[in-house]
Amino acid sequence: MNATQTFSMAVKSVLSNKIRSLLTMLGIIIGVATVIILVASAQAEQKYTRLQLEAMGANRIQVGCYANNTRLMEEVAAFCQGQVGETLATFGQYVWAYDISLKYRSKEMSMDNGGGAYFIDGGYSASTGRYISIGRDITDADVRNQSRVCVIGDAVRKYFFGAMSPIDQKIKINGQSFTVVGVYEPLYGSKLNTEDQILCMPMSLQRRVSQYYGEQTPDLAMTAIDRESSDKFCKEIIEKFEQRFQDSNGYFYADSIGQAQDQMEQSQNKEAAKTAGIAAISLLVGGIGIMNIMLVTVTERTREIGIRMAIGARKRDIISQFLIESAVISCMGGLIGIFFGFIGSAIWGNMMFGSIVDSPWMPKVDAFLVMPSFGLVLGAFLFSALLGILFGLYPANKAASMQPVDALRTQ
Amino acid sequence: MFWKRKPAAAPPAHTADHSLLVDVRRLSKIYNEGKENEVRALDDISLAVPWGEFLCILGQSGSGKSTLMNILGCLDIPTYGTYYLDGQAVSDLPPSTLSSIRNREIGFIFQGFNLIPALTALENVELPLIYRGMPAGERRRLARSALEAVGLGKRMGHRPAEMSGGQQQRVAIARAVAAKPPIIMADEPTGNLDSGSGREIMEQLSELNRQGTSIILITHDNKLAEMAKRIVTISDGHIISDRAGRGIVQ
Repeated sequence: MNATQTFSMAVKSVLSNKIRSLLTMLGIIIGVATVIILVASAQAEQKYTRLQLEAMGANRIQVGCYANNTRLMEEVAAFCQGQVGETLATFGQYVWAYDISLKYRSKEMSMDNGGGAYFIDGGYSASTGRYISIGRDITDADVRNQSRVCVIGDAVRKYFFGAMSPIDQKIKINGQSFTVVGVYEPLYGSKLNTEDQILCMPMSLQRRVSQYYGEQTPDLAMTAIDRESSDKFCKEIIEKFEQRFQDSNGYFYADSIGQAQDQMEQSQNKEAAKTAGIAAISLLVGGIGIMNIMLVTVTERTREIGIRMAIGARKRDIISQFLIESAVISCMGGLIGIFFGFIGSAIWGNMMFGSIVDSPWMPKVDAFLVMPSFGLVLGAFLFSALLGILFGLYPANKAASMQPVDALRTQ
Repeated sequence: MFWKRKPAAAPPAHTADHSLLVDVRRLSKIYNEGKENEVRALDDISLAVPWGEFLCILGQSGSGKSTLMNILGCLDIPTYGTYYLDGQAVSDLPPSTLSSIRNREIGFIFQGFNLIPALTALENVELPLIYRGMPAGERRRLARSALEAVGLGKRMGHRPAEMSGGQQQRVAIARAVAAKPPIIMADEPTGNLDSGSGREIMEQLSELNRQGTSIILITHDNKLAEMAKRIVTISDGHIISDRAGRGIVQ
């Protein structure tokens, strides 16, 4: 007896008892739909963070060293600068400025409340994804000339100047007068956040503005030409540091957003696998339901089995008949489950996007339609088929090991 | 000849006599042996049936005749004794070979028709051919001609529940003969039928026998038994008589 005939017989038998078959499938349907919805929404969440990080610029690299190792840092900086045009697209240096307060007429603002003030060179803005909306950026010439100019973030502009033009206005930074030459574009659209509360000054003015701390070794901000070279470049820098770094009190770092993304994805993958595992338990319960019904079917159809054996069905014919029947039930359940999985993912995904509270320091991403991936759908389908076969084995074997004469005698 | 008789080929040297269809030696079937409720359904029966025979096994209910047919039909195994079917010791054969024998050598007709309710007449007749692995086209052709031969050419698409008892039994006959097996075993084939339908069934069996098929008929009905060529009467698991029948339908 060939597979097509067995298959069409199994389908016929499943369809001949629609309500029962449907109820039997219910466990698989719910299980498959749950797995698909949970995994699809986990994947969507992952995609969301990925898009966020990509919006921040996955090629961005930061290198720094917290130790009195100015020489090494200068070497690394020189090395990095030498890579511009090859591995790197941009290169900039910056120093975090502590204890900065601003004053414009009667208004005051402390940069320590969530915002950030930096001493920068001409390459910083481009390397950190900052764009000028009004005026101009700080240039290397400003650094050379120790010009008392500054560029402010949009939050700072709004606070001090409102609708007024900020350009060429003088503000006091720690009591010293600076000319505002430019304003940064708000980082994540019109929605203001702490990232827009930023102030940048030429790097050569460090000592003058924050006297207490003296001159610090600048950190490096760069963008690589692409994602791959950013990872490679970070590794290279770390190797460089490892060879030369001796200060046991300090540490160095070379991070790319891409790496952060990888780490985040890894932990998200783990989470998704856990959720899928829990949902798979409901699939298992569905499988047991199939086994239960198949056992009932075998008992009900004992006489039929006897007839089939009497007219020449072999043990394996009977086994494959019932195995295929349970596989057909579970596969049909799987397909229906996939259907509901698609619908559920879309609905659940929408709800998820509605409930996401955007963190102020992450870019906002447009909502997208949450759809299970092809691999997920295929996996769910194959798993349900496997369940059908696995849980069909016992009933099928029970059917096939009956003695023909005993089976025929059953009424 | 429509139904081929099994050719009497020369037997391989080591096997038994192929000239006998059935050769039963000291056969016993004992249920619950050694216990208080021991039942000797068949007790030390020996029987030889040549090819082409129309044998009737006659007995009252509980005589052991159905047990005998189940063993002869390879549906059951004896407790003691040997059973040679076409010179082959059946007790030594694995279940898959027994299935194949039931499929190729024997056509069964049961009192309760034993059709599969979910399948149409045509599908029921096709079933043994499916298990034989016959290609669909040939299978359908054979099944159709078998149904036409029993006069059910127009009811092929009907399910058993949509047919009368006589028609169901004719479907069962078609199923038994579609593959042209050399042996037909019929267990009370007319038991659930009115006398008219019963006579029709018996005539069809006689016709099959005339065409060369060996037939073993099990019945409790003396009149029915008379139409066989040979009548073996069983009582309490023993053969109590073995005589010639009249070979006519009464």
